[in-house]
Amino acid sequence: MALSTEPGLSAAIGGGSGSVSKSRDGQAASMPTRAFVPDPYLDLARYQADADLLTLSFGPQHPSTHGVFRAVLYLDGEIVVKAVPYVGYLHRGVEKLCEKLSYSNVTPILDKNDYVSPMCNEQAANLAFEKLLGIEVPLRAKFLRTLLAEMQRVASHLLWLGTFAIDLGGALGGGTSVFMYCFRERELILDLFEELTGCRFHYNTHCIGGNRHDIPAGWPKLVHETLGTIDARLDDYLGMLEHPIFVDRTRGIGTLDAELALELGLAGPLARASGIDHDLRRDAPYHIYDQLDVRVACESGGDCWSRYKVRLDEMRESIRLARLLVDNVPAGPISASKPLTNVTQFKITTGQTYVAIESPRGELGTWVIAGGKGTSPLRMKIRPPSLHALAAVPYLFPRYTLSDAVAILGSLDPIMGEADR
Amino acid sequence: MADLLANPWLRGLLQGALLITVMMTAVAWISWFERKFAGRVQSRLGPTMVGPSGLLQPLADALKMFQKQELIPSAADSLLFRLAPPLALFLALGGAAVLPITQGMLASDLDVGVLYVLAFSGLLAFPIWMAGWSSSNKYALLGGMRMVAQGISYEIPMVLAALVPVVVTGSLSLSDIVTYQATHHWLVLWPPGLGLIAFIIFFTMALAEGNRIPFDIPEAESELVAGPATEYTAIRFGLIASAEYVHSLITCAFASTLFLGGWDGPFLPPLCWILIKTVGLFVLITWLRWSLLRVRSDQLMALCWKYLVPLSLGILLLTGAFIQWVG
Amino acid sequence: MGYLTATVQALYSTLRQSLKKPTTVEYPKVVRPRAARLRGSFALLKDAAGDENCIGCKKCEKICPSDVIALTTVKKPSPVTGKSRGYASDFTLNLQGCIICELCVQVCPADAIVMVREQERPAFSREDLVLTMDRLYRNGENAERLAWATASILAETQDPERTCLKK
Repeated sequence: MALSTEPGLSAAIGGGSGSVSKSRDGQAASMPTRAFVPDPYLDLARYQADADLLTLSFGPQHPSTHGVFRAVLYLDGEIVVKAVPYVGYLHRGVEKLCEKLSYSNVTPILDKNDYVSPMCNEQAANLAFEKLLGIEVPLRAKFLRTLLAEMQRVASHLLWLGTFAIDLGGALGGGTSVFMYCFRERELILDLFEELTGCRFHYNTHCIGGNRHDIPAGWPKLVHETLGTIDARLDDYLGMLEHPIFVDRTRGIGTLDAELALELGLAGPLARASGIDHDLRRDAPYHIYDQLDVRVACESGGDCWSRYKVRLDEMRESIRLARLLVDNVPAGPISASKPLTNVTQFKITTGQTYVAIESPRGELGTWVIAGGKGTSPLRMKIRPPSLHALAAVPYLFPRYTLSDAVAILGSLDPIMGEADR
Repeated sequence: MADLLANPWLRGLLQGALLITVMMTAVAWISWFERKFAGRVQSRLGPTMVGPSGLLQPLADALKMFQKQELIPSAADSLLFRLAPPLALFLALGGAAVLPITQGMLASDLDVGVLYVLAFSGLLAFPIWMAGWSSSNKYALLGGMRMVAQGISYEIPMVLAALVPVVVTGSLSLSDIVTYQATHHWLVLWPPGLGLIAFIIFFTMALAEGNRIPFDIPEAESELVAGPATEYTAIRFGLIASAEYVHSLITCAFASTLFLGGWDGPFLPPLCWILIKTVGLFVLITWLRWSLLRVRSDQLMALCWKYLVPLSLGILLLTGAFIQWVG
Repeated sequence: MGYLTATVQALYSTLRQSLKKPTTVEYPKVVRPRAARLRGSFALLKDAAGDENCIGCKKCEKICPSDVIALTTVKKPSPVTGKSRGYASDFTLNLQGCIICELCVQVCPADAIVMVREQERPAFSREDLVLTMDRLYRNGENAERLAWATASILAETQDPERTCLKK
């Protein structure tokens, strides 16, 4: 894993010949350019000669690796002295598959990437296609997309909170109680999605040019009430979760400083917990975020506690935004393009673009190169925030105990479907 | 009949069989209660299918455990691996012999009952460690080692806290301690304040001893899969699991005997009182389990060595002083 | 000391939760109502006169992202009107690989394939998950089970020309 920045690579990504420029060009200039190359890979031959190290293959089948993540841990007693992450157990070749599918068929496939927040996957890809096609999405669809993204963020963070509590509290303890409460609340949101789209998980509700499903009667009121309920219930049981034991287990654990976070390409809640005040919703607005006043949660600690705090604040902010949005959805069409009647309805012959949105896990980017026959992408690259989060594992695990390693991994919130693609 | 009971061997055998039956039945119902309670806490229903309100669920579980194929890892130390679960259950049940259930009704009125119970429950770390060691599984090994590390931490404050009633009553016999409480004060209230703190220390450490949340560090599911029980299958797994329940139950009975007056209580017959107190403490343990998160191994050790050992030592000294000059 | 008070608070919140009504239901005995748009299984529809809607245009077969639809087309006189038009002589939809994306419903020019609000899709054998033409038409017989979406409804919803939408 080469961590020094390679100027050639970034030039290749940033300076492509596409007609559409990278959406984050403005950001690149402000980032520090200091060469920061920490050494996570301890030379075990030089480690204390008398230490009896235990090599532990942590995952891929392990209760708390959030899917099929695997890390080989070298333990000195309980202390992790070295961690080597392995990804790819859930590799399905999604990017290659996208090269075979027509533009309209890519959306349902991408649902399976980040299976905790499929709405955001759909939006990232469709925004890129729309940018290449030069389609302006109607206002109602923009509102709907924003609303769905914010509701999805709440659902996703709820699932994170539940699994994080399980990581800390065990499958047979108080953690499970919080997990169940979080799932109960998440189910309410999934019910709303089901009302709208007919599916709980893999919605395929976005299409090129807008949305496929319009808001059913009575739905906005339901959203408003449900989110209010969730907001109230959050207060209800956070009193139970924020026990001194929880604080002891998270504060000062897995500290990630801002420079390392930048170096690893972290974005989203992880970067914000490390003090990088950066949120694409505010800094590079898409949908209708430019009209919204997004209050970005930011902490400076960089530890598990800060990540918890950031996500919790984001959850509340998303609830606020969603409730604001759902009351103000304007009337109008929900799609700018004609309804899909043919596989090859959308043709993009040239150009490339990179579009990033703020998924619940961070910057979810889609880089599309159009070409060939024009019916399907010539090359599609998805930038999954989870993969970048897992890159922090070798830096964060060493010097903490195995118990802390589990907590740190939980706080990174990796979704393996997205990391392995 | 009376002749038969006069034979000490036969009498002991009968008493033992009775105790084991009662304890195992109690464990079955208690595990049902725990699951139902967990369900309600977590906004679920809990077991509902087997029998009315799932009351026969423990029976179904036991049957399932007996039916399952037993797997023993080829790399495991076969003898220790097979021996650990029965030994754990044996040591867990052993403590029940000296617990006074009602006045004069106990299997064996040992002069050193407190020591006996503490010794048996202290020994429980060994079968767990045996299981972890012999499984030839790294998670199990880590779990076993955690058990040992935890064992040497919680034992000391626990024993020191249990010595407070001994100092007050001047006897190591459990029936003497209960008789004292029936005639004087409950020891959770006497010496005032000190008894309560001693009880809290004892109860906290009992949680650690029973591997219950927040101290279920050896078998932390999210870290060590199932700790020392990782490689166990079928009834041997069931034995380990039931050993922990038996042990929790006996610790509750022990705590209520030491601090809460045992069978002493107004209006109701003594048998009711010991049951109410034991089950009440067990409900508290269960309730704590589904409300708290787990602490880390080193945090438990810090708690024990840095805070509870000095605290319990101080309380023991103050109790001695109290007995000397006041009571 | 903080630990003790926080523990009491945690105990209090779990107690409060335990006194509430459970959220879960005993599933086979109690079935939750599901959304009108719920996508479950598939059905093929017949028109009011009993003629098959499907014209065998193969659009659904082509758009299916996971290639689970297979149909063969024949041209034959309609048993109802007598006019010659396309029919599907064989239509198979393999639910094992279906990702329920609703795209086949969306592209159908004849409103033939629609979704069923089937809640219990799991089956005991793989063959049970392969929907043959017979099963698809049988699914379509019960109108109450059909999901909301048909191609024309979806098209109407998405039509950009339709400026004024009823809420």
